[in-house]
Amino acid sequence: MNIKKMLTILFVPVFAMIFSIDLGYARDVGFDDEEIRVGQWGPQTGPAAPWGAVARGTKLLFDLINEEGGIHGRKINYFIRDDQYNPSQTMAAVRDLVDRRGVFAFVGGVGTAPGLAVQSFLRQNEIVWVGVCTGARAFQNNPWLWQIWPDYFDEGAILAIHAAENLKFKKIAYMYQNDDWGADARVGIEAVLKRNNIKLLAAIPVEPTERDLSSQIARLQATGADAVIGIMAPTQAAIALRTSVSVGFKTQWLHSYNLCDFPLMNHITEGLWAREGVMTAAFTDNIDADTPIMNRYREAAKRLAPKERWGLFYTAGIAAAEPLVWALQAAGKDLSKEKVRDALNSITKRQGIGPVITWTKDSHLPPRQLRIWKCGPKGETIVVQDWKTITLESGK
Amino acid sequence: MPFKQLLIEGLAMGACYGLFGLAVVIIYKTSEVVNFAAGTMAMFSTYVAFHVITLYGFPFWLAFLVSLFFAAVLGVFVEFFFIKPAKNPTLLGLIVITIGAQLLLGGLAGWKWTADQQAFSIPFSYKVIYEPIPGFHISQWAIAVFVIAFIIVTFLFLFFKFTKLGRAMRATQQNKHAAKIMGIKTDRVFAFSWAFSSVIGVTAAMLISARTILDPDFMMEPFLRAFAAAVLGGLMSIPGVLIGGGIMGLLENFFGYAFPSWKPITAFVVIVLVLCVRPSGLFAKHYVKKV
Repeated sequence: MNIKKMLTILFVPVFAMIFSIDLGYARDVGFDDEEIRVGQWGPQTGPAAPWGAVARGTKLLFDLINEEGGIHGRKINYFIRDDQYNPSQTMAAVRDLVDRRGVFAFVGGVGTAPGLAVQSFLRQNEIVWVGVCTGARAFQNNPWLWQIWPDYFDEGAILAIHAAENLKFKKIAYMYQNDDWGADARVGIEAVLKRNNIKLLAAIPVEPTERDLSSQIARLQATGADAVIGIMAPTQAAIALRTSVSVGFKTQWLHSYNLCDFPLMNHITEGLWAREGVMTAAFTDNIDADTPIMNRYREAAKRLAPKERWGLFYTAGIAAAEPLVWALQAAGKDLSKEKVRDALNSITKRQGIGPVITWTKDSHLPPRQLRIWKCGPKGETIVVQDWKTITLESGK
Repeated sequence: MPFKQLLIEGLAMGACYGLFGLAVVIIYKTSEVVNFAAGTMAMFSTYVAFHVITLYGFPFWLAFLVSLFFAAVLGVFVEFFFIKPAKNPTLLGLIVITIGAQLLLGGLAGWKWTADQQAFSIPFSYKVIYEPIPGFHISQWAIAVFVIAFIIVTFLFLFFKFTKLGRAMRATQQNKHAAKIMGIKTDRVFAFSWAFSSVIGVTAAMLISARTILDPDFMMEPFLRAFAAAVLGGLMSIPGVLIGGGIMGLLENFFGYAFPSWKPITAFVVIVLVLCVRPSGLFAKHYVKKV
């Protein structure tokens, strides 16, 4: 082998390695004098695609902040990765953002299973993570994660309280996504029903990929349930409602706060969401709320993201990112991870467009306040139960 | 147990699976290729109907015809540009090509129409329900599924039995080389079978999306069910596939009613059991390995 060949063999892999690594990003700790790097994963495609708007809503807030000059002179460089609601892809996306882009913090991140797939990795790397978009209890007790999405136990509880105590339904059944989301909410539902001496008539699981729900609806119909509490993705909720209408099953549906985007749900159910008066839990302001902060975001969306639909999932992305912005502002110009952590731990009774947030060094738990909305006949939001704090012992 | 309700709902979804299974079988009958792109092709053509209805305001039946035409062209396109250029392909190679086509079309649909869920309506609504017997409901959609399935199967039976082209397709399946010697233009037969399969596929897909939802993934699960129906009925038997679809729909519905947690695996259990016990399916005469 001649020298030229040997050099080629040696240098090609070395050069490939050098150029495949983004040295500018991997070197520091997620920020420099010019920018702070923040990431989020979310399903931009796949079965949970409507929830992809969350990550894009966060972008609106960061674009607005950048338009106003950034935070202490630093712009937010924001990365969105599509994981298709698939945990294996979430891991790949997060590794890319951490190892190659060197992000400082994560915001949101839709889904229990995708979040669980990356939780230990983010925790080990001590990466600030604010507002994971799930209320599953498996995310509690993580010192680098601050939660906004209400605990699914509380979500199940508020739905059951409204069905059993406000609406006085005695025959209540449950249809749920077969994962931690459905399991955690079930505990809350059963706790409320128990104190009202009501037995859950049936608990029927559904997989996020299922498209034919005839047998599940037949099972619910056979119980004669007056109300069905549903904890499932938009696609399955829409199909469940369509199927129940097609077999003449009349019941009051009460769904998760993850389905409180009424215009969207009304659209994909061809108006059934409004016709059947579906109710959902909620933990943010109504998107039509005439408040200074909501008006500010609405105007910003018209200017900075004119093609985006102004929907609940979109504004949820803003709500998820607000506390990180507050903490970055409070941390000052001399930024560090520890300062942001301390600032997040010091947020007390502060509210943006989400719920009132209080975090301490010892508790990063989500707020326990929720409300109930009903889809009105024209698809409008009717508040049927305003902010209510869940005081039920959650057994944590 | 609401026996009658489960029966009718199971048969209606089963008829959809069976119809879609026919799309798989028609290609398999002529070329022994399992077309894993069938679901995505049907999804894509359904989106074409949705597109011309929502964007250009076409009435449904005109959009339906446009979609059928597009499906036929798409079938020929896939056969011509994906399958035909393969040099001495193995069966596995051809299957991998169809998976590639599936990924490509899925990506294209996501790019063009986004992953947002949409409602797709047909003139036979699931919202219009009849109650022929007290407590027993049947929707207009379910009635339409039965009628359309009956018409298509009757047409296919007559087509394969009595038309020249149908006989040419059967001859090509039995022995491609002998068919060529007898003057059958087998290349055209292959192209036609892909077009034919694609047209039947989109018909089934429209019925399914009218009851469920329209998004780029909406045919993934029905495809698996339809494939299980085809394996159950016999990949070589047209009536077998439809009966397989019916059995599949009933099995899934009754089993899902009794054991909701296990419902999603029904199709896989059926595929594995049939392949182990009777690989040719319930209605195909026997399994012959061509040499």
